[in-house]
Amino acid sequence: MLSRVAENLFWLGRYLERAENIARMARVEHEVSLESGQEIWHSLVSTTASNQLFWDTLADSPDLTHSEFLIYSMQNPASLRATLVRARELARGLREHISREVWEEINALYLYLALRKEYIASDIQQFCTETQRRTQTILGLYDNTVLRDEGREWFRCGMYLERADMTSRIIDAKYHILLPRGDSVGGPFDRFQWMAVLRSASAREAYWRMGNSEVDGIIVAQLLVFSQEFPRSLAFCVQALQRHFHQATGQTPKRRRAGAERGITLLHLDIGARDMDQLIDEGLHEFIDDFQQRLIDIDRSITDDIFRAEPSHGQLQRTAASDRG
Amino acid sequence: MTNSLLDGYSDDGMASDEMFDADGAFRPEYRELGELLQQWSADDHLEREERADLALLSAGITFNVYSEEEGTERIFPFSLIPRIVGAQEWAEIESGLKQRLQALNMFLIDVYGAQRIIKEQVIPEEIVLSSPGYQPKMAGFRPPLDIYAHIAGCDLVRDRQQGMVVLEDNLRTPSGVSYVLENRAVMLRVVPDLFPRWGVRAVADYPSQLMSMLLSVRPSVSGDPPRAVLLTPGLYNSAYFEHSFLSNQMGIPLVEGSDLTVGDDDFVYLRSTTGLERVDVVYRRIDDDYLDPEFYRPDSLLGVPGLMRAYHKGHVSLVNAPGAGVADDKVVYRWVPEIIRFYLDEEPILPNVETFSALIPSELDHIRAHARELVIKPANASGGYGVLIGSQASEAELEDTLAQVEAEPRNWIAQPLLEFSSIPTFDGDLLKPRRSDLRPFILSGRETWVIPGGLTRVALREGSYIVNSSQGGGSKDTWVLNEEPE
Repeated sequence: MLSRVAENLFWLGRYLERAENIARMARVEHEVSLESGQEIWHSLVSTTASNQLFWDTLADSPDLTHSEFLIYSMQNPASLRATLVRARELARGLREHISREVWEEINALYLYLALRKEYIASDIQQFCTETQRRTQTILGLYDNTVLRDEGREWFRCGMYLERADMTSRIIDAKYHILLPRGDSVGGPFDRFQWMAVLRSASAREAYWRMGNSEVDGIIVAQLLVFSQEFPRSLAFCVQALQRHFHQATGQTPKRRRAGAERGITLLHLDIGARDMDQLIDEGLHEFIDDFQQRLIDIDRSITDDIFRAEPSHGQLQRTAASDRG
Repeated sequence: MTNSLLDGYSDDGMASDEMFDADGAFRPEYRELGELLQQWSADDHLEREERADLALLSAGITFNVYSEEEGTERIFPFSLIPRIVGAQEWAEIESGLKQRLQALNMFLIDVYGAQRIIKEQVIPEEIVLSSPGYQPKMAGFRPPLDIYAHIAGCDLVRDRQQGMVVLEDNLRTPSGVSYVLENRAVMLRVVPDLFPRWGVRAVADYPSQLMSMLLSVRPSVSGDPPRAVLLTPGLYNSAYFEHSFLSNQMGIPLVEGSDLTVGDDDFVYLRSTTGLERVDVVYRRIDDDYLDPEFYRPDSLLGVPGLMRAYHKGHVSLVNAPGAGVADDKVVYRWVPEIIRFYLDEEPILPNVETFSALIPSELDHIRAHARELVIKPANASGGYGVLIGSQASEAELEDTLAQVEAEPRNWIAQPLLEFSSIPTFDGDLLKPRRSDLRPFILSGRETWVIPGGLTRVALREGSYIVNSSQGGGSKDTWVLNEEPE
């Protein structure tokens, strides 16, 4: 498959997954803010984007709120709207690789965004709910209408890599509650926060279905990091990434896929070799930091070695000769 | 009965109308549709039109209006009332187009070969060699099956006196065929009740016809299986939708220049995730000048360095072949009837519009003397730009254009103003006569194939003669009837 197309499908998967996560987190954050009377949007800005960029942007537009920056501002490249605009731009260049149903749904979402000329704060709930529902529809349609070829595997690689990253950010935003051993763990405020974490990760039902009778931060973290069954946990995402990467690179020469393959395999083994106690002793935050850095390295290997590898003249000749048999 | 959409419909005897004859009665092909439309109110039409527009917009069937703002894609305005062509008339048009393309391809082989037509003084040498479409570097080159113009779009209009005439040929990278297919799909969804009992010829076959044509002109050294690609200038080109649409329908890769590379062996390769894969046929939708920076414009970022080297060695086929533009030059057009007679020894089935070339002294005199009755056109512009309609121009505009004509006679032609036919088109309240043309697409490979129908373009402004989308034109579906209505 064309390298450029593979790379764009990978990013289409990333952006759609990212948009779905931002919309979900913003919706939960909005509800928590309303209910608790506390303005906690700033923590979401640090989860998904850059605080520095927010303050820089604020200097030019003093009326900018955290929520507008996060959801609507085109000056924030990680905002919900900016992410979806880029996803749609990619999809427009990939129409022959995605089904008509997927394209029309992405385009409809774009038109829905284009109709809203300005940000309306009172509308956050409706806007995020609608965006999340539409993004999920796109992901569902993708799975059910697009040919399961190499391109689809790259799309899934992007989606799971992004999901692993997003779940790790959701955990990281609350890691401090797990730090002081024995302190206020289990208090009412704490339970409230962990509930919000579960909802931010679409994990509330899963948590109760697993037979838990109360909200316990350690069990929540355990679910989000280690669960083999929950489709948004770090372990699940890394395993899925490994499977789809393997399927995407079946025909790829070893020298091109080795770097990313190694990174993914080691990450998978590392998670499998740990447990929750170990993580708390070593520090959850340090673990997440390391996890995120390794995702960045995997992404870089895929991009440099597979999507953008420039064949040298020698390689060109060899491949040409072998292609012609 | 409520007011009908056709109330008071009249073309004031200005031009012939496709739906009505001179006595105001329905022509036979339109009778069934016309009777249905008499039952429609303006609201019926509005409601269907909105559904059609929504279908086109949500499918992203748009062309780009480039700017940095979001939402700069527009749909090509679509009119629900189709052009209808009877089966018999279509058979005539089809054979006329095949004849024309056969002769034009023979002309191209001759121009880049023995130049018999110039030596026998059928067409002045100066006209051919000074054409901007003439590529001296192609001299002596013979593409597979001796075809240069594989994909052609000929613009036809119906003249009151002559019937269907050819207004111009497009032999480089004619566009619009995706609208033909999409317009039909929308019509079937939005106005299924308007389709005639005896059925219309299907157009959905175009992509597979195009694909077999592409493979039929592959080089003799092709891989097995041979591989074709569609080369696009990219996402921001105004016809990008069409490039994506066609490659999707044919199941071939849509590539940009940077996706291809030419090896030391002078073969063309595709950069893939698994390595390099050889390419045999390039359906290119970028202009000659941008194809290969080593050969043409060194500043082009769109092309593939070395592509022309591979082409000249016969390692890859380019569709259409570089240099085909010499045969769709508006001045060369003036000689197409002579070209048909010269190579085929037949009379042209589809007539040309009478054309005067400013380069021929007697014809320049005619242009000067009859400027008010003529349309004066620059020979190498497209999109309807720079056209002067003598009867509507101010004295100053006329003077200005005539001065340009005398300064550069090679670049100007003149034709009588054609009162070409109109088709009823909704203006928001009623159906009104609006002039329209027809662009059928002709594929030339091992066989010659004409799409049944083509793109009908319509001028949306009252009295306008300009149907180009860049100047506010719209489009319609074209129905070629399966059989003559009884």
